[in-house]
Amino acid sequence: MKTTITAIILAILIIGGALWYSNKGSDTTNNVPVNNVTVVDGKQIIEINVKGGYQPRKNVATAGIPTIIRFDTNGTYDCSIAVRIPSLSIAKNIPPVGSTDIDLGTPKSGLLRGMCAMGMYSFEVEFKS
Amino acid sequence: MSQQTLTFHIHGMHCNACTLMTESELGDLPNINQVKASLANHTVEVTGDFGVKTPEQIAEELTIPLKSHGYTISVKPFNKLGAKSWSDFKIAVPIALGFAVLFVVLQKIGLVNLVNSGNVTYGTAFVIGIIASLSSCMAVVGGLLLSMSATFAKEGDKVRPQLMFHGGRLVSFFILGGVIGAIGSAFTLNASATFTLSLVIAIVMLILGINLLDVFGWAKKLQPSMPKFISKHAHGVSKLNHTLTPLLVGVATFFLPCGFTQSMQLYTLTTGNFLTGGLTMLAFALGTLPVLALISFSSFSIKNSSKSGIFFKTAGLVVIMFALFNLINSLVVIGLIPPIFNF
Repeated sequence: MKTTITAIILAILIIGGALWYSNKGSDTTNNVPVNNVTVVDGKQIIEINVKGGYQPRKNVATAGIPTIIRFDTNGTYDCSIAVRIPSLSIAKNIPPVGSTDIDLGTPKSGLLRGMCAMGMYSFEVEFKS
Repeated sequence: MSQQTLTFHIHGMHCNACTLMTESELGDLPNINQVKASLANHTVEVTGDFGVKTPEQIAEELTIPLKSHGYTISVKPFNKLGAKSWSDFKIAVPIALGFAVLFVVLQKIGLVNLVNSGNVTYGTAFVIGIIASLSSCMAVVGGLLLSMSATFAKEGDKVRPQLMFHGGRLVSFFILGGVIGAIGSAFTLNASATFTLSLVIAIVMLILGINLLDVFGWAKKLQPSMPKFISKHAHGVSKLNHTLTPLLVGVATFFLPCGFTQSMQLYTLTTGNFLTGGLTMLAFALGTLPVLALISFSSFSIKNSSKSGIFFKTAGLVVIMFALFNLINSLVVIGLIPPIFNF
């Protein structure tokens, strides 16, 4: 009985570990800042894809410009549509399909953190002056 | 007058004269008809009229005449954390860790990508419900359910609390979903209300989880139950507690911060009528039912088997892990700490 349980636990740990490490690899490519930050007519637009989390997870933008984050959803029904940015008291549930803009005002330099309402998907924007 | 025969454990009895002493002292009590003490088993069997008193109260009363002789009557065997409990932990801890790994793996797999349509039909809502029940929402709703059903199972009440919970949840999702559809505005608690609710739930789960471990006696006093003024006024109060509490908890799961529930509520807003909204949320709740039923009914078949010690300790550990997970996440969402869990 004990050997069975130990075997099951070991199997779960090995499979789990394998999946974890394989996912970690793909994680880093998501974190490389892509050119998703553009400035149009004096307004800075950060484009973030929303499905099972936020891509890209780490963003870099310029401080001191009126900024919005454009969240793109495509049949997204998970927690990431419940966007929370506590430092700006932003709490918005975005529609499952389409593009939704959230206004950040004119951010100062520093790190802005956002996450889904349950806290397990998160993104950040580093505002550099 | 109803006669009951109950068996208690007696501590401090170590000679044959002691058994005679015990039998004579207890036999002298007005409501006791028969006493049989066993030195070998350290037990005493009493037959008498105890009314509606709980075993704990009876044990206390029986101890009174025996205390001067150095004996104590108790419901549970009077030993400190025995060897059996520690050996249970040796099995419970790896199993609990296994569930934790399984939980993380489920999140990493990215089940959310299975749903792609922009249109939500009842079928879509059902599938989303299935995915939701395997997601982090499991930590919130499932964890609460596990802590509640395991605690009730330990007290012997297995079926009714679970039926009340699932029934309450399904009915509330239908009705509240219909209301959202009809009035077109969703029930989203604001940030501080969500934080308070999550905090309270995390703390309740933590206490229930620790109780399930059966390690710290003092934690039992903190266990939330119906307020005493209600208990005093209602005979059959145990029935009220076991019926109303799971029902209310089932209804309350509608408001728990589960991203999936909120996304479905958002869609329900757009339906514009009671029936469609109600049926959509009902389909979603039905989707979450298989996994939730599995969680709650795991408590079902366990109570009297020799494995029950292991089960309750595993359940306790899993509940504690989920409670900490929820606690940390609610601190993240309110902005007090940076995100820790990233899936």
